[in-house]
Amino acid sequence: MRTPLRCARLLAVLLLGLQLVPGVALTSNVNIHKASLSPAPLSTNPQRAAYNNTASNTRDSDGVAEAQLIEIYRLIGRGEPTEALQKAEKLVQLVPNFQLAQLVYGDLLASRVRTLKAMGDVPEDMAHTASTTLQELREESQRRIKALRERPPAGTIPSQFLELSQKSKHAIAVDASRSRLYLFENTPMGLNLVSDYYISVGKAGTSKTSEGDQRTPLGVYYITSNLDRKSLKDFYGSGAMPLSYPNILDAKRGKTGGGIWLHGTPSAQFSRPPLATDGCVVMANPDLEHIIKTVEVRSTPVVIAPQLDWIAPAKARAQVAPFESSLHAWRNAKTQGDLNQILSFYTPDFSSNGKTLSQWTDTLKSELSKVQGRTIQLKDVSYLRWTDSSDTMVVTFGEVPDGTRTGWTKRQYWTRTGNQWKIFFEGPL
Amino acid sequence: MPSAIDDKGRMTHANSPVFLLIRKALPIRLVLLTRLAPLARLAPLARLAPLARLVLLALGLQMLSFGAQADDYSEVGQLMRGGKLPEALARAEQTLATHPKDATLRFYKGVILRDMGKTSDAISVFSRLSEDFPELPEPYNNLAVLYASQGQFDRARSALEQAMRTNPSYSVAHENLGDIYAKLSTQAYNKALQIEPVASTPATSPAAKLALIRDLYLPANRVQKIQPPAAPSSAPVPAPAQVATTAKPTPASTVASTGTRAASGTVANTPRPAAPVPAPTVAIAPKPPTPTPPPQAAPSKPAPQPTPVSSSANASDAREAEAAVRNWATAWSARDMKAYLSAYGRDFVPPGGASRSSWEDERHKRIAGKANISVRLSDISVSVNGAKAVVKFRQDYKSGGLVASSRKLLELSKANGRWQISRESIGN
Repeated sequence: MRTPLRCARLLAVLLLGLQLVPGVALTSNVNIHKASLSPAPLSTNPQRAAYNNTASNTRDSDGVAEAQLIEIYRLIGRGEPTEALQKAEKLVQLVPNFQLAQLVYGDLLASRVRTLKAMGDVPEDMAHTASTTLQELREESQRRIKALRERPPAGTIPSQFLELSQKSKHAIAVDASRSRLYLFENTPMGLNLVSDYYISVGKAGTSKTSEGDQRTPLGVYYITSNLDRKSLKDFYGSGAMPLSYPNILDAKRGKTGGGIWLHGTPSAQFSRPPLATDGCVVMANPDLEHIIKTVEVRSTPVVIAPQLDWIAPAKARAQVAPFESSLHAWRNAKTQGDLNQILSFYTPDFSSNGKTLSQWTDTLKSELSKVQGRTIQLKDVSYLRWTDSSDTMVVTFGEVPDGTRTGWTKRQYWTRTGNQWKIFFEGPL
Repeated sequence: MPSAIDDKGRMTHANSPVFLLIRKALPIRLVLLTRLAPLARLAPLARLAPLARLVLLALGLQMLSFGAQADDYSEVGQLMRGGKLPEALARAEQTLATHPKDATLRFYKGVILRDMGKTSDAISVFSRLSEDFPELPEPYNNLAVLYASQGQFDRARSALEQAMRTNPSYSVAHENLGDIYAKLSTQAYNKALQIEPVASTPATSPAAKLALIRDLYLPANRVQKIQPPAAPSSAPVPAPAQVATTAKPTPASTVASTGTRAASGTVANTPRPAAPVPAPTVAIAPKPPTPTPPPQAAPSKPAPQPTPVSSSANASDAREAEAAVRNWATAWSARDMKAYLSAYGRDFVPPGGASRSSWEDERHKRIAGKANISVRLSDISVSVNGAKAVVKFRQDYKSGGLVASSRKLLELSKANGRWQISRESIGN
């Protein structure tokens, strides 16, 4: 059967063109697509490229379905609908519950007999019955494409990860606007983006403030545990990793709710719409399985941002410097043992796991007695910065007085007023 | 083996004597046609498959008959027509016992089994037939229909794509494949949107109504492929086909044009336009066999004008008949159902023995439901015989992404000064 070229072009416009930035020609987008997707569809993932090149038994299938979907888009963009159809057929056989792939497969089949008017050009009655689902699938498609077309500049890192000590082997950043989760490996040379995945967030979007608001929280969190898959309902898919919502800042702001997890999808759905959850971050089961296998609980930070700001590591280090002087001043004050000077680093509304500043003063005194004038060393310091209506620094470090083998692993939350950084939370981990 | 192949082979590099030979050979084929023609009119069977599009029997079946006789086909056909399916099956199997390879009987057997509701048996018949005769598109087509009736649309699709590979311009498979694509896309959309499909058996859901080809249609050029090359022929030549449609001279041939055969496609026997083949323009007029230039002499010039007809008295009729056909195509393109349907006369025999109203319903669905249709005609040839005319042409059909180019033959009758279609054949 012959499908005229114009049909393929139209389809290309429909599938890829919907996402066009005004004024950008289709061809350049296709090229961008090609550039960003070849030779390996997700070129930022050398690990997966290696997997794909070797017949390893331990190969993870994370990201594979999306890579195949994007390959289909690419073929459509190149005007090769027949190859695209073949690949789509394979993909829906491999992943029948991948609804977006089914939609694209349906379009490619339909384009054989009629002209497509839109991406997901389902018959009228179906569009009527399932208009929401259709709209969600189109949105999912756009967000996947957008995330793959607009890659983070090479070598950049999310601006929240100012510095991560080697105590964190991995880090995760979620860009809600792109429905994307980025997984980093933390090497002595710095953070490397290893892979990234489509994710879903809350039905009502982000900026969670209260229980049941169906929003995903924004902020800096840690993975707190890894729940046994067997204990979970099918709804959570291949596992769940709870996050530390509400964090100190959230609690201080009176945010409520909990049970914000990173989890998988039910067996009926390979992926869920961009805005679908009750606040959790949900990813395809193969992707989640890879995350669970890879990251460590407690030490893996998870930043959830409305939109990630990617900066060069040098810029991040430059941002650390002014804050670092405040942190060192606090340490020096503690070394010198001047309680009043130390207290000047804390905000009046300071709290530490329920202790007020005056109650905390007793803790400080007890710590000082143990330090006994020895110089305090800060080891393995991690700096995570969260900026919204206020500017917050989440610092994690080992506090070790000279001459002792052990100290405390502590986390502090600092807030900035003008050029002044002050501690509003401090506690051992 | 009949001489047709040799004739055809020789025709490519010989002139008039060969053509004479073909005319002489005519009665043989026409006898076959006479005997087999009623098979095409399997109205009771057709009613079992309400929207079936039929392509009817053509010439050249004996090429694959492996010794079975036209009588055998005729008897089987009569039994089928009479609704005596078990008897028809027994009769077919009786002959198949001694001629196990006979393609036509096996084909009929498949149709009988299908009509008896023995779908999987029918599938195995057509499946083996397609293995033995991979160059025939019809068994693939029918396999596809059967698979579709079981809801196995992926298999139906690959069978049809196979049919298209063997014969890229095969209209029935084209249309069926279009239906399958539509059905598959609906399935995929249902999965995408997680809609539970409306409960209906695949066989009765509209999209699954596909054309089962009831008769094996075997163009000469494909016969040639089956046979060892008889002569260094350069190109397929439209040889015996048009004789059947016109064929005044012999009594047998009248069968072909008198409408005793029900449905479309009856006569189709010219080479497929896989390689562009000129429209046959010879041997239409009822005149004594005379040496005629070989078809190569007439080829491939596009024929914007009506082909000249032998009698000047016919000339205006020919023009009118052609105009009627052009209006028909225009109405089709414009999706003007009223004008389109009125192009068909009261004597029009819908394909497949369907009733006029169910045929009109089907056409309405196929035409009015489309967003756009373009039908362009070329290579038109017209022959007039009294109040009857035969108009042949190439039809380029476009709708959405579907493009189908095929030969078509319309028989027209003149009544009350108006030419209307009495029969429509595709694939010619």
